[in-house]
Parts: sequence; C-alpha cells; structure tokens
Amino acid sequence: MGKIIRFQLETFFILILMILGFVIIFMSIGYGFGNLRRPGPGLYPFFIGVFLILPFSIVIFILALKPKRSEPLFDKYGLRKFLLMTLTFILWIMAMPFLGYVVVTFITTYCFCKVMMLEGWLKPFALSISTALFIYLLFDVWLYIDLPRGILG
Amino acid sequence: MNLGGLDLLLKGFANSLTIVNLLACFIGVLVGTIVGVLPGLGPTATMALMLPFTLRYGAETGLIMMAGIWFGSQYGGSTTSILVNIPGEAASVVTCIDGYQMAKKGRAGAALALVAVGSFIAGTIGIIGLQFFGPILGGAALSFGPPEYLAFMVLAFILLSNLSGDAPLKGFLMVGLGLFISSIGINPLDSYPRFTFGSDKLMLGIEFLPLAMGFFGIAEILNIAVETYVAPMVKRPRLKELYPNKKEIRRSISPTFRGSILGFFCGLLPGPCTVISTFISYSLEKRLSKIPQEFGKGAVEGVVGPESANNSAVMGSMIPLLTLGIPFAAPSAVMLAGLRMHHVEPGPLLFQNNPDIFWTFIAAMYLGNLMLLILNLPLVGFFGRIATLRPQMLMPFISIICLVGVYSIRNSIFDVWVMIIAGVIGFFFRKWNFPIAPFIIGVVLGPMTENSVRQTLMIFKGNMTLIFDRPIALTFLSLTLAFIVLRISYPFLRGKFITQKA
Repeated sequence: MGKIIRFQLETFFILILMILGFVIIFMSIGYGFGNLRRPGPGLYPFFIGVFLILPFSIVIFILALKPKRSEPLFDKYGLRKFLLMTLTFILWIMAMPFLGYVVVTFITTYCFCKVMMLEGWLKPFALSISTALFIYLLFDVWLYIDLPRGILG
Repeated sequence: MNLGGLDLLLKGFANSLTIVNLLACFIGVLVGTIVGVLPGLGPTATMALMLPFTLRYGAETGLIMMAGIWFGSQYGGSTTSILVNIPGEAASVVTCIDGYQMAKKGRAGAALALVAVGSFIAGTIGIIGLQFFGPILGGAALSFGPPEYLAFMVLAFILLSNLSGDAPLKGFLMVGLGLFISSIGINPLDSYPRFTFGSDKLMLGIEFLPLAMGFFGIAEILNIAVETYVAPMVKRPRLKELYPNKKEIRRSISPTFRGSILGFFCGLLPGPCTVISTFISYSLEKRLSKIPQEFGKGAVEGVVGPESANNSAVMGSMIPLLTLGIPFAAPSAVMLAGLRMHHVEPGPLLFQNNPDIFWTFIAAMYLGNLMLLILNLPLVGFFGRIATLRPQMLMPFISIICLVGVYSIRNSIFDVWVMIIAGVIGFFFRKWNFPIAPFIIGVVLGPMTENSVRQTLMIFKGNMTLIFDRPIALTFLSLTLAFIVLRISYPFLRGKFITQKA
C-alpha cells in the first residue's frame, strides 16, 4: 500500500511541476518575446518552461513504466511528527510579530522538543530557556539586530 | 609566482592576522568540524545559517568563515566515519569502509591521526594550487564575453545534472526550476516584472538565502525529525593510539599526495566534487595497491587517499567560483551569495578590483588548515562524543537559529515563509531523489544565464550560429556535445565491452 501511495504522490508532485511549466510558458507569451535581435522579457522564461516540461514528461513516463519504488515516505509516527514540526514553524512565523522573538523562541523551542520526543519537562524547559537567552545575546547584544520584542518591548 | 604575487600574499597574511579574521577562521573551522561530525546537517546548510552573522564584517571575513566551515566539515566527517561507522558528511561515506575496520582492529587513533595529517597536506596542496592557478585562470577569463559565458554555463549545467545524483533527468529539471525561480521579480535588463502575481514582495525576487536554508537546513531538520534515532556507539581512542606505526606512515605517504592532486582537479568539476573525488581516489588506490584484498578490511590507503582528496577538492572548487564567478557546488553557491551580499562580485575582475580579498582568503586558509590540524588531533575524543548528541536536543536549537537568522537579514517574515515552504518542498525532493545542488546553482546562476543569452542574441543580431565562430565558446559547446554523446552511448558501449570480454 505504501509503495502505491508513494508512486501516486511522486507522480502527482511531478504533474504539479509540469503544470507550473505550462503556466510559465503561458505567462511568458503574455510578457512578449520581442525579437531575436532585441529579445523581450518573455523569451528567456518561455524557454525555461519548455525546458521544464520536456524532462518532466520523460520522468512521468519512466515512473509509469517502473511504478515499484522503495520504502514509504513516513513510518507510523513520521507523518504526525512532520506535520507538527511544520505547524511549529508556522506558529513561530504567525506569533513572532505580536509576542516578540524571545517569548516565541521559548515557546517554539519547547514545542520542537516535545514533537521530537524529548522526554520529561525539565530538559525541554532548560533547553528552551537557554535557547531564548542565546538568541537574545547573539542577535540583540552582539549583532545589534533590531528584532520585534512584542510583549517584552 | 611573481614578486607581485608574493607581496600580495604577505599582505594577505597581514590582513588575515587581524583578530576578527582569525576569530572568523577559528569559528568557521570549529563549526565546520562539528557539523562534519554530526550526521545530518551538512556544510551547505551551515554556511547558509552562518551567513547572516558575517554581514556585520567585511567580505573577506565572510569568505574566510564560509570556507573554514566547508574545509572543517571535510575534516570532521572522517571522525564519525572512523569511530562510529556513520559518515557525518557525504564526502566521508567512502572513509567508513576501511576507517571503521581500522577502528575495529584498535587502530582508530592512528587512522584519525593519519587522516588529520593527510588532510592538512592535501589542504595545503589545494591552497597552493588555488594560489597559482587562480590568478592565471582569472586573467584568461578576462577574454570571456557573453557568448563564452553562455557556452560555459551550458556545459556546466549539463555536467552538473549528470554528476549530481543518479537520475540526470531529475538533475535537468532541478536546474530548470532554479532558473525559473531566479527569473521571478523585476528583470533588471528591462525593468519588467515577471511572475509576481501583483505581489509587492515578489517584485524584488526570491532571496537566495531563505531558499538555501530551506532546502538544505529545514528539509534536513524535517528529515531527521521523521526518522527513528538510533544512538551510535562511540569508541574513544586513547592518546597513545594516535601514533601510527612506521608501516602505516609509509603506506599513507603516496595516497596522500595522489589524493591531494586528484582531489584538486576533481574540484574543478561541476557537482558534488568532494564526494566524487573520494570515490575516484578509493578506486585508484585499490587499483594501485599491491594488496587490494586488504581493501574493505582496514587498508590505510583506503582511508587516507579519499580523505586527502575531499580536502583538496574544496580548494579546487574555489577556482571556478573566484575566477569566473560560477559556483560548481552547492557550498560555493552559498559563498557566491555571501560575497554578493557584501557587494563583491567574484569573477575575472576580482583579481584587479579586489585582490586583497583573494590573497587574504588564501593566507587565512593556510592558517585555518593549521588550526584544523591543531584542533583535530587532541580533540578527537571530544568530537567523537559530539556525534552521540541526540537530535532531540540539537534540532530545536538549529530550527530556531534558522528562523531568527533568516528573519534578521531583511527583517522580513516573507523570507521566513519562503524558507519554510522551500524546506517542506525540499523534504519531498530528497525523498524522491531530486538533487538539490543543481536547483540551488540554477537559482544563483539564473540572472547571469539570462544576461548571457540576451546579450549574445543582441551581439549576434539574432543569428546564434555566429557562436561557432568564437573559439572558446566552440570548445565548450564541443565538450558539451561530446559529453552528451558519451553519456547516451555509454550503456551500449559498456554492454558491448562486457559481451566481448565474456
């Protein structure tokens, strides 16, 4: 089952990229080719689009001929971890402008630790505190980079 | 080397002996060694990660730190290969074969010492090569016009697609995708916005650094997160074991020099030159050995040769970057991006406009090489212990450094989004064996490729056949054609050869 899912996913992924190739070609035509003496802004991306579609078609053809691939993408807990890690990254992006980088760094480090199954609460807590402190010292004190301080501002 | 060159080198030493540059060199080689030791995060991701911290200092400081990381990772990669049988870095995969066997025989210390000395010699030979060939090739590259650059890039892309990974078609795709990403935003030639979909953020294009950190850093973090971690068993070598015996020393001399020279020339190839150099060196040593049956069972030549080769290859790969401004490997693409962030454009004019940067870099590499030797021998046990650090402790910290690091470059949340999206896409690319290096190099070389295409068309008034009247361009195109013909005919020729032999 895993093998079939993987094949379908990979083919689907390549199909999306192939569609991207067609979009590039379509949009390039809109930008205008100019002429060969004085090329317009659309000429170069047009060729990139063509350059993308040709090998994509061959890769899909090869995949169709050889659908049996190696192990599945995720194991039992893999997909859950992958989604939670991605969500934690998004949490940092969404919350950082409001809560400030120090607070968000503390929270997200703790989340990362738990997603990666660092046991107990003390180790994740200590790591989160020290990471937030390190980030503050590195970016604020040493590099003088003005990052959003949020509620601590 | 003429007297002018010697003067410049001495001046380079004077520049590199500043506290900032020495510190940058030390941090670079130390971080590089640690990254080389740790399985997972490679030199490209680390260099991208460290790039924002170099912006406060001069271009040469940034270049020194970047090169130190790359150089150090080659050193560090061998440590885990020998002690744990886990390559910390792709270029150390070959070292596992005989290195770990030596460790099992109680010769881990000797293997590490010989590798450290061999890498030092190889690094020095590589630096000497760069010091001599760099300015000469830089001078030759001054005669390159847009048609020559175009022909050279066609050759580079073809080689890159074929040498990165085992599926050339996927390599082509990735180059194309990289070229497309680089075309997003306002085109500087005619100030025309392309593929921006009305977004102001996309007008300036997609920044290289978030992409590199996403594809190499975040993708690797996600990869490590989803995999089950198995703690490695590390054998700690005692100090007295660090002394190789006379026989081992004698057997390692020729492979060190052979590997150094071979690695340097492999560095001139597009693609994962350090990895390629180790495989070629290993098979060469096995072929030349009087006792090939010992390979795979702890042959010292199989450890020293490839490790010397990968160190020298790092220096070799600096030549196309510094003389032509064309990176042939993913780490040198990050270096190019770093130099551009410092408003320095590597290429033939670097030796005329910014000779200080080149010569300070050369001098700092001599010092860095020495630092690595001093660091690696006594601290080998420490680096071995680092290999046992659990990713649960390390990855949260690295994730945060990636997030804050990318944001801090332009104070842009958009860049962080780019990094995360690139990371997620990069995760799938890795799983499906799409090589990332051609993509990254495509992104970096995209604007240069477009300029070359359009300027060539304008120079030749639309008649592209005139490119065959340019000897240098014709040579590159002929090499491209020869490579394609060889690549297509190789399976048939191989089949025929095997049949005849049978």
